[in-house]
Amino acid sequence: MDLFIVNTLSGLTYGMLLFLMASGLSIVFGLMRIINLSHGSFFLFGSYVAYAMVSRGMNFWLALLLSTICVTVLALLLEKFLISRFHGNEASQVLLTLGLIFVIGDITLWIWGGDFLSIPVPSILDFSFAISESSFPIYRLFVIAIGIICAVLLWYFETKTKVGMIVRAGVDDMEMMGALGFNIKLIFTAVFLFGAALAAIGGVLSGPILGMYPKMEFEILVNSLVIVLIGGLGSWKGAFIGAIVIGIIDSFGKIYLPDVSVLLIFVVMVIVLMFKPTGLFGRVES
Amino acid sequence: MKKSIIVTLLLAIAVCTLPFVISPFVLFMLTEVLIMAIFAMSLGLIMGYGGLQSLGHSAFFGIGAYTVAVLSQYVTSIYILLPAAIIISGIFALLTGLIAVRNKGIFFLMITLAITQMLFLFFRQSDLWGGADGLGTSVKPNLGFMELVSPLSLFYFTGAFFILSYFFLRLFVNSPLGKGLKGVMENEGRMIALGYNVKKYQIIAYVFAGGLAGLAGGLYIFKTQFASPELFSVHMATTVLIMVFIGGLGTLFGPVIGAGVFIFLQNYISTMTDRWSLIMGLLFIVIVLYNRGGILQLLQLIGKKLIPKKNILMDKKGATIIELNESGKAK
Repeated sequence: MDLFIVNTLSGLTYGMLLFLMASGLSIVFGLMRIINLSHGSFFLFGSYVAYAMVSRGMNFWLALLLSTICVTVLALLLEKFLISRFHGNEASQVLLTLGLIFVIGDITLWIWGGDFLSIPVPSILDFSFAISESSFPIYRLFVIAIGIICAVLLWYFETKTKVGMIVRAGVDDMEMMGALGFNIKLIFTAVFLFGAALAAIGGVLSGPILGMYPKMEFEILVNSLVIVLIGGLGSWKGAFIGAIVIGIIDSFGKIYLPDVSVLLIFVVMVIVLMFKPTGLFGRVES
Repeated sequence: MKKSIIVTLLLAIAVCTLPFVISPFVLFMLTEVLIMAIFAMSLGLIMGYGGLQSLGHSAFFGIGAYTVAVLSQYVTSIYILLPAAIIISGIFALLTGLIAVRNKGIFFLMITLAITQMLFLFFRQSDLWGGADGLGTSVKPNLGFMELVSPLSLFYFTGAFFILSYFFLRLFVNSPLGKGLKGVMENEGRMIALGYNVKKYQIIAYVFAGGLAGLAGGLYIFKTQFASPELFSVHMATTVLIMVFIGGLGTLFGPVIGAGVFIFLQNYISTMTDRWSLIMGLLFIVIVLYNRGGILQLLQLIGKKLIPKKNILMDKKGATIIELNESGKAK
């Protein structure tokens, strides 16, 4: 029984890290029909920058803040000078962000090398608690908590604030929002940066758990894409549910079906898409 | 029909004469170009004629490669190995195509990417067939009466398959099936209204392209003698995508030029720096920013300016260029 709880919690931890990544991906798509493949690079770059700071003796929390800012600035530059040129042109956006993921990935490889790196767990959270006979690191619980807090904030932001209302309306009909006099470019940039910041936070928090290695951005990206497809594009709620499902399947699959565990999440994706091509929370495309 | 036979014959002559004018090293590289050209042409078919943006085309290449590598432990005849590579990747294309083709554009792209990444992780993680270390084989193309071992014979062997693939793709594109496919890409709603079974056209093209990519993967094993999970990677899928874009989308011969340019560029740059991945990414960005129709179209435009006399002939070609432009913009 306690093994069951530990596995569930491990799955939730991974799921929450994926949620931080997938929610940004999903909202950005919902708002602007941009599938930003370089979103995985934000995750990776965030964790490497934090590693560089922590390994030079900086406080973990300060590193978290500073690397999030770094990634947001990077995202701002990319959005301003490259991605915004191709609004409405899906194929070009995909190719452009595909190019970016290779460029950023190779630059991080250049700077930090190809070895497996990881960020040490901050000392405040560096202990475990016991679940009858097993133990579970408190840091992972903290990650789960952060994921849930982000989900709650997103919910509050979306339903209770005016900005959330504007973004929601923008997802439904971007052109109408523009016609009504809202600065859709600004809204989009803000959401894009917000998504990048979430990905960076996810990346830094994953540093002590998943570590950093070359090409990890592709694994995270593809898992997030699967989550987004399962949950429905444009919906952070879908991303939340999808992330929990994928995290738990991944965690239990690795233990009970180690040989085919990587196939499991795709099996789930295929089943969901067979019955609901738009995903669980996706709307029918007009 | 006549034109496609003439072009195919010209290609055949080019392939036959090339080994006499180039060095053995370039010949070795050209063998790879021919294999990748088949791969790139197959992606060019579904992208340029079917409008299906696939980020997972390396799945079929990898499946073809593994089919040959695994089966070669039991049989050595190419009459079994290569058809098996084509059929198994074709079946996989059918199964995944049925799921993927239900969606369009970005959705299609994401599903194909996810399926391919699944294969990559599976082949890397599973102990079956070598796992992350990959699977080596010593199989050589065996025609039944003789075994092809020299680089020259391997070049001719792949060359023959390249020409055959080109010819069949030409036939496919010019057939009512191919025309219908292009119609679906350009105006799906209209084709539906006209009573065409739109998804059927896309599935057939997808399976055809999958089988062809499987053939390329199978041929690749004869050259490298080694199948690794990297064949399924996003990197591989991106490589073939960039070949199609360098050469020219919406043409059959464009991907061939793209494959040639890309492989020579890669070999040349790799000798100078380790940062090939960075350069490839930048190449991608530059292509998106400045390129519209690829090298083939550039050549056609230059040819048009250099030879203004042949206006009538060029008008014919000019018509296809305009068609290309429209589809390029429409996407």
